Amino acid sequence: MVRKKLSIIGNGMGTCRLLDELARRDGMRQYEITVFGEETGGAYNRILLSRVLAGESPDAIVTKPPEWYERHGVRLVHSSRVTRIDTLRRSVFTEDEQSRRYDLAVLATGSQPLAPPLEGMTRADGELRPGVFVYRTIADCLRMRQHARVGDCAIVLGGGLLGLEAAKVLSDRGLHVTVVHVAPTLMNTQLDGLAGEMLRGQIERCGIFVRVGRTVESVCGDESVEGVVLDDGTALPADMVVLACGVRPRVEVARASALPVNKGIVVNDALATEVPGVYAIGECAEHRGRTYGVVAPVWEQAEVLADVLTGTRSQARYVGSKLYTRLKVAGIDVASMGLVEPEIEGDEVLQVIEERRQTYRKLVVRGGRLLGATLVGNTAAAATLVQHFDRGDPMPDDPLEVLCALRSSTAASERVVCTCHKVTATAIREAMVAGAESVAAIGDATRAGTGCGSCKGELAQLLGVHAPHDRTPAAVPLRANRQSASTTTPAPPLPQRSAEPAA
Amino acid sequence: MSPRPTLPRIHPASEQTVKTHCPYCAFQCGMHVTTTDGDEPALRIAPDPDFPVNRGQMCIKGFTSSALLDHPSRIRTPLLRRGGALVPASWEAALDFVAQRVQEIARAHGASSVAAFGSGALTNEKAYLLGKFVRVVLRSPNVDYNGRYCMSSAAAGQSRAFGVDRGLPFPVSDIAETGALMLWGSNCAETMPPIMQWVLAQKSRGGSLVVVDPRRTETARLATLHLALTPGTDLALANGLLHLAIAHRLVDVEYVANRTEEFDDVRRSVLTSDPATVERLTGVSAEDQLRAVRLIAEASSSMVLSGRGPEQQSKGTDTVLALINLMLALGRVGKPASGYGCLTGQGNGQGGREHGQKADQLPGYRLIEDDADRATVARLWGVEPDALPRKGKSAYELLDALGPEGGVRALLVLGSNVAVASPHASNIERKLGALDLLVVCDAFLNETAAAAHVVLPVAQWAEEEGTMTNLEGRVIVRNRVRPPPPGVKTDIEILGALARRLGVDRGFDFDSAEDVFDELRRATAGARADYSGMSYARLRETRGIFWPCPSPEHPGTPRLFAETFPRPGGRARFHAVPYRPAAELPDPEYPFYFTTGRYKEHYNSGAQTRRVDALVEAKPEPRLEIHPRLADRLGVVDGGKLLVESRRGAVCFAVIFSADIRADTLFAPFHWGGKQAANLLTMPALDPTSRMPEFKVCAVRARAISSPKDVA
Repeated sequence: MVRKKLSIIGNGMGTCRLLDELARRDGMRQYEITVFGEETGGAYNRILLSRVLAGESPDAIVTKPPEWYERHGVRLVHSSRVTRIDTLRRSVFTEDEQSRRYDLAVLATGSQPLAPPLEGMTRADGELRPGVFVYRTIADCLRMRQHARVGDCAIVLGGGLLGLEAAKVLSDRGLHVTVVHVAPTLMNTQLDGLAGEMLRGQIERCGIFVRVGRTVESVCGDESVEGVVLDDGTALPADMVVLACGVRPRVEVARASALPVNKGIVVNDALATEVPGVYAIGECAEHRGRTYGVVAPVWEQAEVLADVLTGTRSQARYVGSKLYTRLKVAGIDVASMGLVEPEIEGDEVLQVIEERRQTYRKLVVRGGRLLGATLVGNTAAAATLVQHFDRGDPMPDDPLEVLCALRSSTAASERVVCTCHKVTATAIREAMVAGAESVAAIGDATRAGTGCGSCKGELAQLLGVHAPHDRTPAAVPLRANRQSASTTTPAPPLPQRSAEPAA
Repeated sequence: MSPRPTLPRIHPASEQTVKTHCPYCAFQCGMHVTTTDGDEPALRIAPDPDFPVNRGQMCIKGFTSSALLDHPSRIRTPLLRRGGALVPASWEAALDFVAQRVQEIARAHGASSVAAFGSGALTNEKAYLLGKFVRVVLRSPNVDYNGRYCMSSAAAGQSRAFGVDRGLPFPVSDIAETGALMLWGSNCAETMPPIMQWVLAQKSRGGSLVVVDPRRTETARLATLHLALTPGTDLALANGLLHLAIAHRLVDVEYVANRTEEFDDVRRSVLTSDPATVERLTGVSAEDQLRAVRLIAEASSSMVLSGRGPEQQSKGTDTVLALINLMLALGRVGKPASGYGCLTGQGNGQGGREHGQKADQLPGYRLIEDDADRATVARLWGVEPDALPRKGKSAYELLDALGPEGGVRALLVLGSNVAVASPHASNIERKLGALDLLVVCDAFLNETAAAAHVVLPVAQWAEEEGTMTNLEGRVIVRNRVRPPPPGVKTDIEILGALARRLGVDRGFDFDSAEDVFDELRRATAGARADYSGMSYARLRETRGIFWPCPSPEHPGTPRLFAETFPRPGGRARFHAVPYRPAAELPDPEYPFYFTTGRYKEHYNSGAQTRRVDALVEAKPEPRLEIHPRLADRLGVVDGGKLLVESRRGAVCFAVIFSADIRADTLFAPFHWGGKQAANLLTMPALDPTSRMPEFKVCAVRARAISSPKDVA
């Protein structure tokens, strides 16, 4: 069988997953695959970029080195930018005007950082001024690493997920870091005002300064960055500026190829564009009017497309994704899913706020189903909540049951020695204290060992270990101690910092 | 030192007391069986204080095991189906009938239309002889056994990573020495109670215990940390723990460099198993994931022991490999009191998988598709290598192929109740009914025997000799307590008699199990599971020898991998095993997870334990475990009835409320047959490598019913 030619444009996380899913479905026997990647080398896991910024080798986050492609018979054309595809002749054109024929094409061109047009941000040639960075690729991280020195001042423009992550790493590297965020509170896409405020407290405790409701007006300096001016006129010295103001879908190839583009490349539930033979997945794709900027939807799309293209489940359809965000910064626990605020009148909101401990938990429930949740400071229930959220499981009448669900971890509980009669080790010790000196006597007192007898050996051992001590008078206070211990409430943990006025 | 436990009085040793081993699980507790006269029960059973595995402990199943020997419903004469009913027949008539039908069927439909199904309950000798009988006498490739349903995933995983598969690579006593113990999908406090003495010793020395189980079981209650994961997501969690180990620099870089290979692939493959992704799949919070990995990585020694939970899935092999990846990355495998092990289930689950009753294996873990292995075994058996059949069908596939459509027309079953133990049980029941010849060798008329054309009554554990290989790879002798009752034969006698009738005299005329063992150990000489240095005398004297034991002077091998792995180059191999979901996930139509497990009081299909009064009194019927919140939603009260349906079948269970189970999951034990069979619901999706069915997860729906009429 002659294999069809499948061209994939872009080599990011969507493509990486698509290749895995195709391989799992034996797709390499159906398709001769070519992947075009702009960056050098193979695919990597972009959500782990902060590790590279923090100093790890880029290879630490590479999911598919070039050898992977070779081993799986996939042709990788890296360090090469695709300019357009001719959808009628079915050819992909790269910037060196080479063309390559395809039978099917998948656009997975991802997104690019939004760079606000700040005065002084770029040089005359249009390139970013030295010291101004975006945070999107391994190359960006390496450039920042090279630039940043201990004691430098960094301005991070954008207090979203990516900006906070970058700020934390730079702060850990010994820089003086200020986050400038245009909205009144941090991570405002995923968090409400109160949660954003609490997060600000946590961020500041890490040694990072935060200025909300502000933006940068201009970047100053002769050659390299020397400072920024905020919109309230404040001037701040700066050795570097990191732009983390969000992303937008990369659609220039699609536009140049006359594919339908709205915010992103418009696809249907099969991830197909209206142009025959052309599909799109990932952050560049617009599905039912939505584009996505996090990885889980991209992976879901890749799975569906692999099902469709290999015919494994040719009727598989993508119906949209539910969003779940975790801020992955050490010492800061934030989880957010679905709705941040209620949408319609019937929506019920439940909030638990601990001001001293600085925790905040909020649920948005509609018709007994969880539509959104926000957790700051205490994310123990996140795992349970996200499963309710994903599956649409009904919430209990009192949603607190889920919110405060027992942690899956447990301190070791009282051990049952005799499982037939549910007799605990304490009950047996008490029987011994009360005078039981043999396995039979323990059995008379507690029924332990009178069922299957499995525990008799252990009862004998307990007699051997405990009896000599427990029979002494000292054993009596032992019991008293145990009781008092169970009625004493442990002291509340001390606050980590002096109280601050509530925001 | 604490004094030796004072045990229930054991009668003074006399010629009436025999040291032997329990008939049930792979722990193979040593026991003293005393034959007494007078008003007392004929047999008295006490745990053996000196056997170093159970050290004087035993569970209720062992204590009550003698009830089966003189049980009134025991079969004592062969039965032949005449006009729809099983009627008594002479041995002569029964064996002649079987031999004649086998010959007719083989002539009409080919040798491979005759098959055998063995068991992890069979002694090494029987497992060996059954494999030989099928290959040499029946000349059929089709022999497999219920071990596929037991630890085949762990076996496949260990073989691929370490080059050898022995349930535990160390004695159970090492458990007490380890700093951090992770019990993954094992409820051994109930399924293997005497092992808990080692776990408790470990805890009392300050060790930590992590238990991974969707339910807060008796075992999980003891844990320092319990991870109540979503059924079917063990692989995601294991990969997630490795992701964290790498991210937090807990990997033993030197060990990985010196003793393993292919780490790089795995390292890259788990890059996408970040805590948030894993949390969403597994329901185990990112914080608990990190706590777990820190507990096992920061302890000076640690081990992961898996049970059927992660193994009985359609990705069981990959899940075991992920656990092995983790322990290799932490540099634990082969270190003192450390590594990966599998808590084998069936009595001789270990030996049963070594001696050739498995479709792809020959004795000693030799491979039936390996030319050198074929030649070695053929020489010993006195046949041409080409005369040996090739690889046959695996357990579920074999059973699924029964009847005219599948082409397997005759089946000989030894020591297994396949009608209850198989997934999608109604399918297997139908297939059994489509056979031209079903021969069941058993002591009782179990659910499988009910469909048989011929039932041959066999001797039980205390009535014959044989060796067992326990979960540690320790080979022990099960001594005979008393002769079998009149009218029954041993499996070895039956196979010999059938071989003779089928025209093969040589090679099956053994006088004793010891004679079979003598041939078996020669068949394993030089193989991975090498028994050649063992003898009954040595085994009795030493209370067991760990394989490999290649010469009479060799002390056996309690611990593996300290220096090297039996793979080319001597290194363990990592395997990249990306997560994939279960074959069937809950959806709006079937919205709940269903999972299965065991009761302390019962054993596997219940064929034995459901006949013991004390056990039936304790647990008379299966109860469906349900979270009160889910019960409330479904409108069922504690003790009420719930009809549980999957795409394959429906079972009506009485429910028991428990806050210890996830609110999205229902649990039922699988020890019962007929209308109460949990396996009517389960999924026959198979692991691509081990061919293990997905017993541990499927999707069901449920509704409360008020009267039996509602079960339409």
